[in-house]
Amino acid sequence: MAELLQFTITGLTVGMVYALIALGFVLVWKSSGVANLALGQLVLLSSWFTYGMLAQAGLPIWAGFIVVIIFAVLLGWLIERFILRPLIAQPILSLITITLGLAYFIEGLVVFIWPASVAALPRLFPVEPLHIGVAVVSQQYLWAAIISLALFGLLSLFFRYNRMGIAMRATADDQRAVQACGIPVTRIFSRSWMFACVLAAVGGVLMSSIGGITFGLVGTGLKAFSVVILGGLDSFLGAMIAGPIIGLAENLGEGYLTPLTWPGVREVIPFIIIIIVMFVKPYGLFGEERIERI
Amino acid sequence: MRKKTLTVLSGLMCLVLVATLLGACTSTAEEPGTKAPLKIGMSTPSTGVAAEKGAPMGHANVDCIKYVNEELGGVDGHEVEALWLDNGYDASKAVTIVNRFVDEDCLLFTVASSGMMTAMMGIANENELSGFAAFSSPNLTQPPQHIYGQTPDYGDDWAAFAKYYLDNIWKGTGKPKMALHLLDNSTGAGARMAAEAGAEDMGIELRDEWIFEHPATTSSETTSLTTLPDDIDVLYISSTPAPTAIVIKSAVELGMYPGMTIACGHAGFTSALVELAGADIVEGVYGVYPTVGWDDDVPAMAKMTEYCQKYHPDDYGNMDYIISWAQSLITAEILRLAVENAGADNLTPQVVEAQGLKKLKNFDVGGLHGPVSYTPGDNRLSKSVRVFRIDDGVLEPITGWVESPFISYE
Amino acid sequence: MDLPAGTRNYTYAQDMAIFRTKTHWTLLIGLLVVLCTAPLWWGNWLSVANLIGITIIAATGLNILTGYCGQLSIGHAGFMAVGAYTSAILTERLGLPFPVGLISAGVAAGLVGMIFGMPSLRVKGFYLAIATIAAQFIIIWVIKHWTDVTGGHMGMSVSAPALGGFVLKSNASQFYLIGGIAVLSIFFAKNLARTRVGRAFVAIRDNDLAAEVMGINLFRYKLIAFFIGCFFAGIAGSLFAHWARFISDEFFPLTDSILYIGMIIIGGLGTTTGPIFGAIFIGLIKHSLTHYLVPTLESSAIALPAGFASGLAPMVFGLIIILFLILEPRGLAHRWQLFKAAYRLWPFSY
Repeated sequence: MAELLQFTITGLTVGMVYALIALGFVLVWKSSGVANLALGQLVLLSSWFTYGMLAQAGLPIWAGFIVVIIFAVLLGWLIERFILRPLIAQPILSLITITLGLAYFIEGLVVFIWPASVAALPRLFPVEPLHIGVAVVSQQYLWAAIISLALFGLLSLFFRYNRMGIAMRATADDQRAVQACGIPVTRIFSRSWMFACVLAAVGGVLMSSIGGITFGLVGTGLKAFSVVILGGLDSFLGAMIAGPIIGLAENLGEGYLTPLTWPGVREVIPFIIIIIVMFVKPYGLFGEERIERI
Repeated sequence: MRKKTLTVLSGLMCLVLVATLLGACTSTAEEPGTKAPLKIGMSTPSTGVAAEKGAPMGHANVDCIKYVNEELGGVDGHEVEALWLDNGYDASKAVTIVNRFVDEDCLLFTVASSGMMTAMMGIANENELSGFAAFSSPNLTQPPQHIYGQTPDYGDDWAAFAKYYLDNIWKGTGKPKMALHLLDNSTGAGARMAAEAGAEDMGIELRDEWIFEHPATTSSETTSLTTLPDDIDVLYISSTPAPTAIVIKSAVELGMYPGMTIACGHAGFTSALVELAGADIVEGVYGVYPTVGWDDDVPAMAKMTEYCQKYHPDDYGNMDYIISWAQSLITAEILRLAVENAGADNLTPQVVEAQGLKKLKNFDVGGLHGPVSYTPGDNRLSKSVRVFRIDDGVLEPITGWVESPFISYE
Repeated sequence: MDLPAGTRNYTYAQDMAIFRTKTHWTLLIGLLVVLCTAPLWWGNWLSVANLIGITIIAATGLNILTGYCGQLSIGHAGFMAVGAYTSAILTERLGLPFPVGLISAGVAAGLVGMIFGMPSLRVKGFYLAIATIAAQFIIIWVIKHWTDVTGGHMGMSVSAPALGGFVLKSNASQFYLIGGIAVLSIFFAKNLARTRVGRAFVAIRDNDLAAEVMGINLFRYKLIAFFIGCFFAGIAGSLFAHWARFISDEFFPLTDSILYIGMIIIGGLGTTTGPIFGAIFIGLIKHSLTHYLVPTLESSAIALPAGFASGLAPMVFGLIIILFLILEPRGLAHRWQLFKAAYRLWPFSY
């Protein structure tokens, strides 16, 4: 019973971190219809940049954060302007592939600038774990969960009430109509990519403070895909709910299935979930059904 | 726009072609010497995901061969001609590389990682080209063919630590309970094979449900560790630094450590572990490592430090540099023995293996790691490690060379 | 296809011919002669050529699936793995002859491809891409953990391919085997595009709702596309296993799947020569970086920063993919067509 509590708590908190990264993906998809397959690599790049600022350049934490946010904004602008803008009307295959190319490029760039394969961020949160009943949860995870929730709240409000947010939703729905209304579509794409990179940066910093900066961050990016598929590609709420579900499934699966099947079954659970969702409810729990017309 | 596209694309393609041709044109400069050069092959993952380990290892291989040629006059006057290629930790590239080693008549070859050697094994064994890997694993050396391991593999690490634990740390009666936490690749599998084969005989209780696997991307292992009973005595982790740090952190969170003993295999036991987890978390953790450290007083240290500072000063302090320097020293010794026993004109890969490699007897490798010998039936060249413990964030050796017992797997 | 000015077709056979003019035939025979004598003068590059041949076969399969039928699949390396392991298990554990292993590898991979391709009936575009990525991971995970059959991390050693009484050990002999199969598969792909099935694929790619309205059974044809595409991957995987003499789960990473997509896009999507161009282009870059550029860089007198050579390869690949997509989205095959048109109309080409 105590085990169940531990599994649940670990699962929920880990899932919230996945959800945070998934939010960035949903943001880009919602505003521009582009699938950002370079997500994991963006997380990696921002984490390394944070390391560069905090550990190598020795900035104090608050200054380092501000620099990282500025960097993320710049990165988003650069990506949108030079890589995605030339492909505005191209079919989705080209868009997906170019993000794949970008992913490759960023991986190389990271190794180019920071040749070490692992690094540790200075500690951001105290190490003492919190005790909930007989289960423990590390403070890092709790903070990550709280920050995810806060960002989710902010994003939802932004998309619902802010003018730019509404413009973004409109663009995702019908680009031509938005252009006809006189809204500069390219500016909207820019903004959405900038936000997405900021989200990736925050997610990256949180994840690296938990586990250090390694290539594994890219794998976490892949898990975020399973979160968005389960939750629905264009739903923030879906991402927030699907994240903990996937985290729970992983940890409960690991705890209870491992003795029955093989060790390491935790790895494959998110992907099996993807396949199941594809068959049962392709658009995810909260995603919008696409109705196609010829 | 069309002209611009055409020019840009043709420019790109010309660049690629020029680079290829340039590379093909630069041939290894043949020094006018009186004796024929001895050709060997070396491959390290200097680019790609393992570049952090592979690049210094490649540098060390090249530097040491330079040292052998310049200061020792080659092997008995023969220059050692080393064909060094980067495998990028990509198995198909590794296959093309070993094909090239075979085609270019290399006498033997060395590789940095067990994964890449696994890829090259099939073709090397088929062509009877012998080679050895700096980091070894049981699938390379058993059943024994033409592939050898330079340092003890992950299974040997486990065996050596298990022996040390039983002799020095275990104070209770009966059998200690051991749990394993393994990376889901050959690093973990090596330790698992040894443990499953040897635990019973050594007097350690190891149950299937206490063996865990984790991926390199794990972010928390509280789930797996919670399922362990409270009276578990020792946890052995065979993994790379980042996941090892996570496992230890999770153990600390759950309050399991300090309490039980934790030990790590050499793949994860580096200063990166201390950095990632934090010195207070890993205080008192044990580990094994097959080589000495950089400031230890051993015969080969001076020259190695000199060449490292001269050619690759950034690599100073990197433990993998030591292993690869030792690897090239061993290569030179094998060639020396072969020339001595068979004569330089009769050298083929088979002769080098039989008269050189298999005649290795207590070669001390300048003290850099345990002595290197070949015993029939056992393709591990060096079988000893040292046991370390982390005190105040520093990896301190607490034993001399401990030989790890040979465990045979069917 | 584009024919030189003045070529007129008087019969159906002439109209349908792939190699129509005398020039076409001369060039084809010349190319075949060059390829057949290649082992004599290619020396060290033969093993690279074999690897490129294998990637051509796999890329052709992916081109049929993604280029002709429009079903995005980023799991191709996983299907190759299925083929490789099927062939290895049948020849090593069960002792069946190599040709049986080869064909079964293709069939097995095709069937697995069909199973993982079933989501294509409900989703498309990006969703399908994610489903195929999931397929890749699941396949590799199964290979890693089903140790009794596949050997897990330790991998399996595979013997050289044996045809009739001949054991093809050297790279030169395998070159003929791989080259022959590559030529066959390209020929098949070219003809597939002209048959009913091929046209159905193209219709599905262009607008699948309209295709369905026209009477094309989407269910059937999408699954056939997955089967054929993954059949090729399986054949390529089997050849790869016997060429490398060893396979393990590390041989088929996700980055390879991504690279295959890159290959067919750089080569030219939906054309027959596209995968050839793409595979050769990427293969040559990869291997010249390994065999020539990196050692030259590392041993040069200039002290390069530590990560230079390490990061260079992925950066170059990524940059090439990006640049091709921005500047020439129709790939090298399109450039080749333009080139042909240019020299035919010279000096009036523009």
